[in-house]
Amino acid sequence: MTKYLINRILRSLVSVVIVLIVVMIMIYSALDRNLIFAQDAQYSKLQLNSKKVYCMQQWEKYGYVDYIPFADYLKGLLREGEIDQDTYNGAVKLGKTADRDSELTQKYADQFRKEMEADGYQIVRLDGITKINSSKYKEGGDPRFYAYKDIPVFQRLGNYLGGLITVDNIHYVEEDIADRGLTFTWYDPAYGGEKFSPAIMGNGTFNKYLLYCDDQFPYIHQNLVKLNLGLSFSIRQGVDVFTTMTETQGSYSYSLVSYPSGTVTESADNLHSATYAAGSFENGTPVIKNNFVDDYTNVSTYRNGMSRMGYSFVLGIIATILSYLLAVPLGILMSLNKEKLIDKLGTIYIVFISAVPSLAYIFMFKSLGGKAGLPTTFDMENPTWLMYVLPIISLALPSIASLMKWLRRYMIDQMNSDYVKFARSGGLSEREIFSKHILKNAIIPIVHGIPGSVLGALTGAIITERVYVVPGVGNMLTKAIGVYDNGVIVGMVLFYAVLTVVSIILGDVLMSMMDPRISFTSKAG
Amino acid sequence: MSEKRIDLSELNLSEDELFSRINHDELESEKITAPRYSYWNSVFRVFFRQKINIIMLAILALLLAFTYIYPAVTNYNPDVDPFINIMDSSAKHLSPQAAIAKFGSSLKWVLGTGGSGQSTFDAIWFGSSISVSMALVCAAINMVVGVVVGAIWGFSKKFDIFMTEVYNIIANIPYVLLISVIVLIMSASFWSMVFALTITGWIAIAYFIRTQVIIIRDREYNLASRCLGTPITRIATKNILPFMTSVIVTLAATEIPSYISYEVFLSYIGMGLSDMSLGKLIEASQNAMQTPGWEIEFWAPVAVASIITVVLYVVGQNLGDASDPRTHM
Repeated sequence: MTKYLINRILRSLVSVVIVLIVVMIMIYSALDRNLIFAQDAQYSKLQLNSKKVYCMQQWEKYGYVDYIPFADYLKGLLREGEIDQDTYNGAVKLGKTADRDSELTQKYADQFRKEMEADGYQIVRLDGITKINSSKYKEGGDPRFYAYKDIPVFQRLGNYLGGLITVDNIHYVEEDIADRGLTFTWYDPAYGGEKFSPAIMGNGTFNKYLLYCDDQFPYIHQNLVKLNLGLSFSIRQGVDVFTTMTETQGSYSYSLVSYPSGTVTESADNLHSATYAAGSFENGTPVIKNNFVDDYTNVSTYRNGMSRMGYSFVLGIIATILSYLLAVPLGILMSLNKEKLIDKLGTIYIVFISAVPSLAYIFMFKSLGGKAGLPTTFDMENPTWLMYVLPIISLALPSIASLMKWLRRYMIDQMNSDYVKFARSGGLSEREIFSKHILKNAIIPIVHGIPGSVLGALTGAIITERVYVVPGVGNMLTKAIGVYDNGVIVGMVLFYAVLTVVSIILGDVLMSMMDPRISFTSKAG
Repeated sequence: MSEKRIDLSELNLSEDELFSRINHDELESEKITAPRYSYWNSVFRVFFRQKINIIMLAILALLLAFTYIYPAVTNYNPDVDPFINIMDSSAKHLSPQAAIAKFGSSLKWVLGTGGSGQSTFDAIWFGSSISVSMALVCAAINMVVGVVVGAIWGFSKKFDIFMTEVYNIIANIPYVLLISVIVLIMSASFWSMVFALTITGWIAIAYFIRTQVIIIRDREYNLASRCLGTPITRIATKNILPFMTSVIVTLAATEIPSYISYEVFLSYIGMGLSDMSLGKLIEASQNAMQTPGWEIEFWAPVAVASIITVVLYVVGQNLGDASDPRTHM
């Protein structure tokens, strides 16, 4: 069994990677890469050469190209000690056109050109654009000089998978920093240093807190290992997809916070989320200078609502539990009263739900529920349990119908089988035949779907969340597609694919645990 | 037994009703005297035995007449509708009573007018002709490809290993993503939508058929057939395909309405057709639903879409049941 499972997991991982390749080819090669700027305000503001450079910078950030400006190349030389600061300062100045460059610049420009072309880069020289009758450059019209190379899909996939899981370490910070290392404390300074709360803090790491405790589930948290599903471009610019799915939303939740400097104020800052931002203390606002003592100033905030995944999961899991609780007895009842009134009513319900577009009955229940006085939109600020009712009903209706349909089918098939006739002729009571034999056999295929529906709750529901304005994950993929946010699309696809694969494997395991006859090891194709 | 003999002439019977002697005929004795059996005749006999099916078929015929004949007869074209007048606010969002009062009593106005003054009734039937055509085309393509590939998939063990991995991959690509990328590359026209819905849509059908084929493939009568040297193609077409007819009909019955629903869903999330389909109408009238008095603009296309899908579903399911020879007794 273990060997089979390992083989199965490995094969599934291969298919997940292939799914990623297909999706990456689809969105990175087939779609116009300018589409990512569709919602970008910065892009529409910029003009002329700086717009082109901005595109390059963003494409590099989102993995389309490898972009090297001339200045960065010179900086590299400076760091390696090949040139000194004066040479750098002289060479970095570009003339309006290549002919008007100083001799020094020309020398290094040629070197840059040669080296980059040898590596397969495209060299771009954008001439300066001056104002009419003036030697000054127009806004965004400065001359630019850079090299770029498209990153092929497979290299991009490699980069993506390589950066999927990052482990924080004390050499993260490139700048010189005093006292690199980890410290362990029993009394977390974020609580004023008096409350007992163990924490591991780092200096030189990306996150300030690597391990800490707080009063939220699951009480012990870590920042050491991080999942990077991909950066968002327009949904939450520069924020990772996984963070977007799991961070809390809504209005700020204030509490007394003891900052590293010793200041204690009412604030929503989550000091445990502090990350390193080079120079942020030096150049920070007076508030930052007042509160912090080092460059670990980048903090997220506590908010009142749940995360996107939290809302989707709460709705989905309640709907799933509800549908199993209702559908299993109803399906059994239908099969017991085959072709009687209750079976016919059930069939009408099943036909209605399977045939009518889901949009139609969701809206129908929304307007019915609205007339009955239930809240029809989700309000994060004034949460009541009532606002969960309608979305849960909408989610449960179709799964009840399909569970009922299949359970009835399986039960009736089992009732006609030979072993039931044999059991009856052997003198077993109907009740015994039913509960010990028929139900046990009919429930097995139903059990197979349980992990899928539980994990599926994490992915949310597109229409239900849209109709009831639920701030969940269900809409993230469609929204990301709508604004061409490729990072989010790839991240979500990976997330979905892994969940599907895991739920199928778990379903098989659960099924073989329920039914000892099912064995995957000796199964002949 | 009494020895009494009956004189036939006393019974006063005509010559035809009496037994007569006929000669033995070699050729005639070879014929089997049983009623002619036709599979499809039996299917329809069973199908029409239920009253509900006749009613449903009548509704379906009426719906199809409105869907295909009504827009053709009235020559409706949403792009050059003479009643569309964005400036005239007195003709927009009219309730059925108000529209009939304004334009006179005609079938055209029984559902009122929409957001730009057009007749909701005309728009719905024009939209449903697009939606139903798309569902039929998609279902036809997917069923043909799915059944053929599924049959091969079920028969060939090598192909099975390969296709199962392909299935794992395709099933994991979100349908919404695939459709939107194709629509973005190719524009949201009718045929690019059909392409998007069929490029991977067949695989679920093929997988279903594969499972059915595997169940039947190794039954004893097929084993016997194979031992007797029947070629695989003949086993597939003569031994297995007849068994699958009811499965295929039932599958087609769920496929056609599901494409109508899917079209509605895609339009609602803003990734649908650019043509005025039912889904597009529903999407366009979403805001009208929030406004008291305008709800009919939203509910009318929703209701028509639902009626079409329910009728198609019920007719298809019952036809699927009727095409199972076990119900022909």
